Amino acid sequence: MIPAPFEYVAPSSVEEALQALAEHGDEAKIIAGGQSLLPVLRMRLNAPEWVIDLGRIPSLRGVRDGGDHLVVGAMTTHDEVGKDPLVREHALLVSKAVEHLADAQVRHRGTFGGALAHADPAGDLGAPALALDAVFVVQGPGGTREVPATDFFVDLFETAIGEDEILVEVRLPKRAGWGAHYEKFVRVAHQWPIVAVAAAVRLDGDTIAEARIGLTNMGNTPLRATAVEEALVGRPATADGVRDAAALAAEGTNPPSDLNGDADYRRHLATVLTRRAVLTAAGRNGATVPG
Amino acid sequence: MKYTETRSESLMAAHHGRDQWQRLTLAATKEGRVTGLKVDLLADMGSYIGIVGGGVPVLGAWMFNAIYKFDAYRFTTTQVLTNKAWVDAYRGAGRPEATYAIERLMNELAAEVGMDPLELRELNWIKHEEFPFTTVAGMTYDSGNYEAATAKAKEMFGYDELREEQRRRRESGDPVQLGIGISTFTEMCGLAPSRVLGQLNYGAGGWENAEIRMLPTGKVEVITGTSPHGQGHVTAWSQIVADRLGVPFEDVEVLHGDTQVAVRGLDTYGSRSLVVGGEALVRAADKVVERAKPLAAHMLEASPDDLEFSSGRLQVRGTDKGVTIQEVATAAWAAHDLPEGIEPNLDASASYDPVNFSFPHGTHLCAMEVDTETGRVQMRKYVCVDDVGTIVNPLIVAGQVHGGLVQGIAQALWEEAVYDDNGTLVSGSFVDYLLPTAADTISFEIDHTTSPSTTNTLGTKGVGEAGTIASTPAVVNAVVDAVRHLGVDDIRMPCTPERVWRAIHEAGAGGETTGAAAPHMSPATGMQGTVDRTDGASEGGQQ
Repeated sequence: MIPAPFEYVAPSSVEEALQALAEHGDEAKIIAGGQSLLPVLRMRLNAPEWVIDLGRIPSLRGVRDGGDHLVVGAMTTHDEVGKDPLVREHALLVSKAVEHLADAQVRHRGTFGGALAHADPAGDLGAPALALDAVFVVQGPGGTREVPATDFFVDLFETAIGEDEILVEVRLPKRAGWGAHYEKFVRVAHQWPIVAVAAAVRLDGDTIAEARIGLTNMGNTPLRATAVEEALVGRPATADGVRDAAALAAEGTNPPSDLNGDADYRRHLATVLTRRAVLTAAGRNGATVPG
Repeated sequence: MKYTETRSESLMAAHHGRDQWQRLTLAATKEGRVTGLKVDLLADMGSYIGIVGGGVPVLGAWMFNAIYKFDAYRFTTTQVLTNKAWVDAYRGAGRPEATYAIERLMNELAAEVGMDPLELRELNWIKHEEFPFTTVAGMTYDSGNYEAATAKAKEMFGYDELREEQRRRRESGDPVQLGIGISTFTEMCGLAPSRVLGQLNYGAGGWENAEIRMLPTGKVEVITGTSPHGQGHVTAWSQIVADRLGVPFEDVEVLHGDTQVAVRGLDTYGSRSLVVGGEALVRAADKVVERAKPLAAHMLEASPDDLEFSSGRLQVRGTDKGVTIQEVATAAWAAHDLPEGIEPNLDASASYDPVNFSFPHGTHLCAMEVDTETGRVQMRKYVCVDDVGTIVNPLIVAGQVHGGLVQGIAQALWEEAVYDDNGTLVSGSFVDYLLPTAADTISFEIDHTTSPSTTNTLGTKGVGEAGTIASTPAVVNAVVDAVRHLGVDDIRMPCTPERVWRAIHEAGAGGETTGAAAPHMSPATGMQGTVDRTDGASEGGQQ
């Protein structure tokens, strides 16, 4: 289908973009990589009068070292993030999640910030961002502010970004030497995850010293499996050592029911996938721990 | 006129397939010999009777008995209209539904009597020396060799080794179990003898038409009524005519599709094009040669009876004197020196009404890994040995087999048109209707045996639907086989991870139950089968 007619503007700076946003307000939609918005427009689920394209703002693109954290420009494509050596070294979990995100075409067009701002609970980036305590930098008419990941995801497709604000960068705290794995459960390769688990672990010998676990599609927002994280500390990185802790993965979740499985099945999946994600992140199951 | 629809409109309003509720009762001896089969279908036709419509379930009447020999058979079908999308012919039309039911049921019988499911099939199938064989459903199978196809498939598959691995995994309680699925299918192709379609109250007959125009340039124009939409007829038809007339492949042009050009024909469906349209082509080509003979004899100053035709040349027997058929065509067109009564062209047409269906068959073997913790299935190996009679173009046949396999596997694992309780289609886009891509399948190992059809000149049997018909039961049999020892004896199609996991769970994982006393229910794919536990030597009294 063809989208309803709209006016298109492609500003060359964040300031211009904010100005356009201020001018057209709720009649405008921001387009980043367009991998979610375009289908919405084509199916006419939304018909904004203005589309503001952030694709021509060079400052929004790229990954750089920010000292104790990495700075990922909101308009950096998934492919660029996935292949970035800094990300691989300091935020391996993000690299792992990007690896199987959608398909190659989407990874080359879709953007890191765009996907996070879209806040699809089945999106692959929310859980890793939450697990790694990412910080979201949003810019509005009054300047920039920092939003911690725990406050960023508000509800289904809803974030803390204000109507007059734009997500400009995502800060990922450096965590070199952690093992990481993104365990994604799908029926066909190009599908959104039915459930996925993002796990990062720091080992002390054969013992889990610290763990960070994020859950994809287990509620209206990405979720942090804090009960699992706490239970894992001090446990041996073995199937038996991890099993009991992983069994807590569904605590406090509210997963959807759909054609791919009902909520109970998803809760069960979360426990199995969490166990596997943690073990793989810990370098068991044949995977290696970098660093 | 031009009609364009969106993908979602197509998913909602273009016809759907299958949707049968099947109640089967199989009677067999304790030794595993099948003695009778009762089939009772409830077919949801959706909101309208379509093109083939009620004929789809009825086609199954000839196919539920499949390759097996038994004496008692009853088939009934009830068709109902509902407020869902109309249901009509979908790759295989009637045969996949029948094949699914009987091949699933043969596996259940094997489990019931404690036999290897391949051995059980061999015990019951028609032996190669018994062809032609008239089945209990009244069809006469002209040729086939189930032993040869099965032996080859077993070898390629490594059947015994995989059974051994399955045993090991069961014993060690591996969370990933291995299942082996079997489907020794046959189908009826070459639709169709017109008298049979008449019995089904079809509007049309089942003949096909071909015309050959011998142009003065030496080029050959072929007009076919079997208009292809991706099946490769242009290539295959050119091969057939080039071979039959002994002209270069490049000199043949195939025309189709526009009814101003191709005036007669009944089109492409039901694996009929090569079997029926190809035979029309052969007959038209033979007529061209016959028409060329008197003129060639005149050109060579010989008697037509002394001419032989080979490799494109009409030659005086025992000499090197001859002319090519293309030279004769040019001479006919010029018409400078035609014998009396000879028209100035060699063109010919033929309409062919088949005397029988054709019956390709094959043995399909599928190895499936089932993750018992999540219910996810992962195909490990798929081998098929199809006997489709004489093969004209191996690459096209391979393409049909591979594509057909994916379509049938998708029915078993992924694709499903789902309605909610209000009758609203909820699988209205590719987000919810799961279409597999290359990333979701494996590389299939395919091969062939050849038992030429005896009812057409080329010996062809048709291959357009074979993979789709055979693969669905092979896959579901494999999934069930992987978890049978956990007490599972059926899983509803498509075998989603959730359904597989629940089947294992509800069977009480690790239990010893066989569940065979209860009917095997599969509402979406429509199978409710019973392997009766009485001695079952006769059909009666076992409901």
